[in-house]
Amino acid sequence: MERNPKDVVRDLIPDYAADILAEDEHLAQTVLVTTWDKLIKNLDALYNWGRKSSIWPMTFGLACCAIEMISTAASRYDIDRFGAGLFRATPRQADLMIVSGTVTKKMVPIIIRLYNQMPEPKYVIAMGACATGGGPFKEGYNVVSGIDKFIPVDVYVPGCPPTPQALLQGLMTLQAKLDGQSIKHAPWYRSPLSEPVPPPLLGPDIVDPRQIPVLAERIEQQEEPQRKPPKKLHRVKVAKIPQPELEVTEKAAHFLRERFGDEAFKQDGNALIVEPNYLQDVAKALRDEMGYDYLANLTAVDYIDDGKIQVVYHLYSIRNGGGPHIYLKVDTDRDDPQVPSLVPVYGGADFQEREVYDMFGVRFLGHPNLRRILLWEGFDGFPLRKDWLEAYYEQDHKPFDSRWPEGHHRAAEDRNIWGRNVRYPGDFDPEAWNPMREDVMVVQPEELARLDEVRSEKIIVNMGPQHPSTHGVFQMRVLLDGETVVDLEPVMGFMHRNHEKIGERNAWLMNFPYTDRLDYLAQMGNNFGYAITVEKLLGVQVPERAEYIRVIMAELNRIQSHMWSIGFLLNDLGAFFTPSLYCIEEREMILDLFEMVAGSRLMVNYFRFGGVAHDLPEEFLPLVKKLVRERLPRAIEELDRFLTTNEIVQVRTKGIGVLSAEQAINLSTSGHMLRASGVKWDLRRNDPYSIYDRFDFEIPVLYGGDIYDRYYIRILEMWQSLRILEQALEQIPEGDVLAGQKKWSVRVPKGEAYGHVENPRGELGFYVVSDGGSNPYRYHVRSGAFINLTALSHMAKGYKVADLIGILGSIDIVLGEVDR
Amino acid sequence: MFGFDFGFNFLKGMAITAKHFFATYVQDIKTMGKWDPPSANLETGIPAEITGYITTQYPEQRLPVPERFRYNPMLIYEQETGDIRCTSCGICAKVCPPQCIWIVQAKDSAGKTIPQCQEFYIDTSICMQCGFCSEYCPFDAIKMNHDYEISTYERHESWVLDMQELLVSTRYYAATHPKAWEREEAERAAKEAEKSSVER
Repeated sequence: MERNPKDVVRDLIPDYAADILAEDEHLAQTVLVTTWDKLIKNLDALYNWGRKSSIWPMTFGLACCAIEMISTAASRYDIDRFGAGLFRATPRQADLMIVSGTVTKKMVPIIIRLYNQMPEPKYVIAMGACATGGGPFKEGYNVVSGIDKFIPVDVYVPGCPPTPQALLQGLMTLQAKLDGQSIKHAPWYRSPLSEPVPPPLLGPDIVDPRQIPVLAERIEQQEEPQRKPPKKLHRVKVAKIPQPELEVTEKAAHFLRERFGDEAFKQDGNALIVEPNYLQDVAKALRDEMGYDYLANLTAVDYIDDGKIQVVYHLYSIRNGGGPHIYLKVDTDRDDPQVPSLVPVYGGADFQEREVYDMFGVRFLGHPNLRRILLWEGFDGFPLRKDWLEAYYEQDHKPFDSRWPEGHHRAAEDRNIWGRNVRYPGDFDPEAWNPMREDVMVVQPEELARLDEVRSEKIIVNMGPQHPSTHGVFQMRVLLDGETVVDLEPVMGFMHRNHEKIGERNAWLMNFPYTDRLDYLAQMGNNFGYAITVEKLLGVQVPERAEYIRVIMAELNRIQSHMWSIGFLLNDLGAFFTPSLYCIEEREMILDLFEMVAGSRLMVNYFRFGGVAHDLPEEFLPLVKKLVRERLPRAIEELDRFLTTNEIVQVRTKGIGVLSAEQAINLSTSGHMLRASGVKWDLRRNDPYSIYDRFDFEIPVLYGGDIYDRYYIRILEMWQSLRILEQALEQIPEGDVLAGQKKWSVRVPKGEAYGHVENPRGELGFYVVSDGGSNPYRYHVRSGAFINLTALSHMAKGYKVADLIGILGSIDIVLGEVDR
Repeated sequence: MFGFDFGFNFLKGMAITAKHFFATYVQDIKTMGKWDPPSANLETGIPAEITGYITTQYPEQRLPVPERFRYNPMLIYEQETGDIRCTSCGICAKVCPPQCIWIVQAKDSAGKTIPQCQEFYIDTSICMQCGFCSEYCPFDAIKMNHDYEISTYERHESWVLDMQELLVSTRYYAATHPKAWEREEAERAAKEAEKSSVER
């Protein structure tokens, strides 16, 4: 089992290198004089030793794999021991590109530009399944089936994600390849140098310039995928609507009937179906008079058989201290969907309405900036509509018939005429098409007038998507006056992996491992949210022990996520990597436990409907007790001492990026954003799920609303998590960890449910609609980080560019969840 | 904003960094440089105190992986008889979230399906290593391999694993998954005993 590393390397030496070595040995035996080749061979040894021991990778991370790449660079694995620790933020100084994560169509032009800017000799490691061949997201409409379709790759590292040790082994494989090269054959000392790779263009789908000449004729040969609907269901059970939800709906209906009469809405179970004309007035009345001041979730469902699209709104009342939420729904015609915008009432509707426009094509009348948000302008079609089929479409629902019993392996690209994940509309004319990207800044006219008085020149700066401080592939389009931020527009979608479309093709159970990849720093929390949402429809009772295990995992997860966030916020403020290294060290200890319990450091896939996948191993509890009682308190205390009172931290963070409580609620921010702005709101207390009502803990609140408070609230929350852990570890009972039998196929009763958990990055909600089958009809993720970004431009205006980095860092986004 | 102690807290932070720095040398001197990295899966466990560096000297040292660790899947054959456990019931292919498993059911000469698989492919460039296949397999025929040192120079040939590449012996499985092996063997023995008692 244990392989000698030298054997591993020897196995990996390419054949041509072995030939060269053999040839040289033969020469040395037959010719006594020093030959030119022998001299070169000696020179090669030195030359390659130097090159392989000083590989400079580019600071460039895409998705989940990037987290493991950073862990590899941190102190536990320390990639610096291989001379490859000098991560360069600019491609011009780097010679290794580690493509770490899912390559999306929106991101691939940027990756190729970066690659072209790297000097020769340059190497590429495709890290993980996604970068290699599309991975689990391969069928997604915005995912490229492998970066090697565009740029040459030297080493492929398997894994999803590869563990840090696997990445180090991949690096050694690359070193072995370098060792096999000779200065004699080095093409990078000859001219002409390699041709730059032309970056693809964003059209109705991604357009490779090299394919343009054949595009027009091949479009005609392209086959339109035929939709294969699933089998009809015989018997459909209907889920029960919980009583408290019905009560609040009755109450709201009563109020609205008195106020607007009967024609404004009709009640349907726990939902109020509002007439479009009345929507804004109804929302305003609910907000101002009933106290429903918080728009939690906004999405849409495509009911294709009824010819309508339904926009769904979930509202809570923070003012009244929580309780069940109410559903508003608006029906609109599928062919010409129009709904009044709720942005004037709830600022938090901004990005969510844009997302619905992007995915369903619903036009929100009166929205200030209704453009695509996750995809790009000009993309063909609205992907979440049921009749929109992706290029690799096979069947409406998994499992696909082609896998069993006659499952002859055939890659999806072989079925596609383009050999890659693209499909063009039949009337697409590449000659007439003008590949222009629009760059629209949103500046208020009065601001422009004021700027003109100053007579200074404004410039637009694009920060990201390849930027070390944007926490992934995220772009801020900033309008600057000198160094002051005048306006800002977040641009996202570079990591849009089509989570929801894939989620609707998947069977219910299959979505668990996908939720791991949403917010890949809070996998246990994501599993938790999905499990409790579907359990609402299933109506299963989770065994006691499983509830405790769930809470223990979720709280450990919160600590490791907060550790990471604090470290990287300090990175953004300029304390480059020292705090991060200490934080990552603690995080590694928690990840060890996850690996022991669930089998993977990151992608835990641990929860199941009605419990968890496995019981805890026997050695787990003593370890976690030691961690919670001895190591973590000491670590948090040290971190607190190290950072909280530090003068530089205070100067850089206090009073910067202020968000008031009213704004925070109106913009639908959640989690630490609310609590740092003085709103005492935590779903574990205000809408208790699982068994959180049993534990004694506080909700920390700070009132400054600035970066400092958003940092310090995390320290306070970690202390509270330790308190919960302490109690849970004390009280955990023996017993089963899963209700009922283990079943690979789950049927969920007909109905809809919204479930949410307090994740480290705010409220993570799942909205699922079941038609009684084995797959969700609609699967929507209410992402905390995505909606928190609505507040970014409000927080950043008027501050300096350098503060902007800190402000973004304090929101603490994870792009897997923002773009989904 | 600041009182007379301006700069003092800054120095305190520096002292913490210095403590970490020197702790590494203290640790090295105490252990004469021979030192196992901390890991929940090693005897060193999780150290309660923060002392020095925690670096694993990969590849000279390797952090062991726990038994439940998941990497690529593997198919299991009996060491003694050479029988492949898989009956090609197809549950793994049906439960696989990214649908990366392809199975061809074997047929006898009359064209009737028999409980064996003729072809079995796993496309590891799609596999998300979720472990559902091994979790829901009723025959303990597919398990998650622990081998993560498998990087390649090429992917089209070597990342689509066919049956020969997937097969490992029960001995290999028993060595990597000792506890699961013990449990499964005990279950199987109990089942056999029950069966024979019923027959009697």
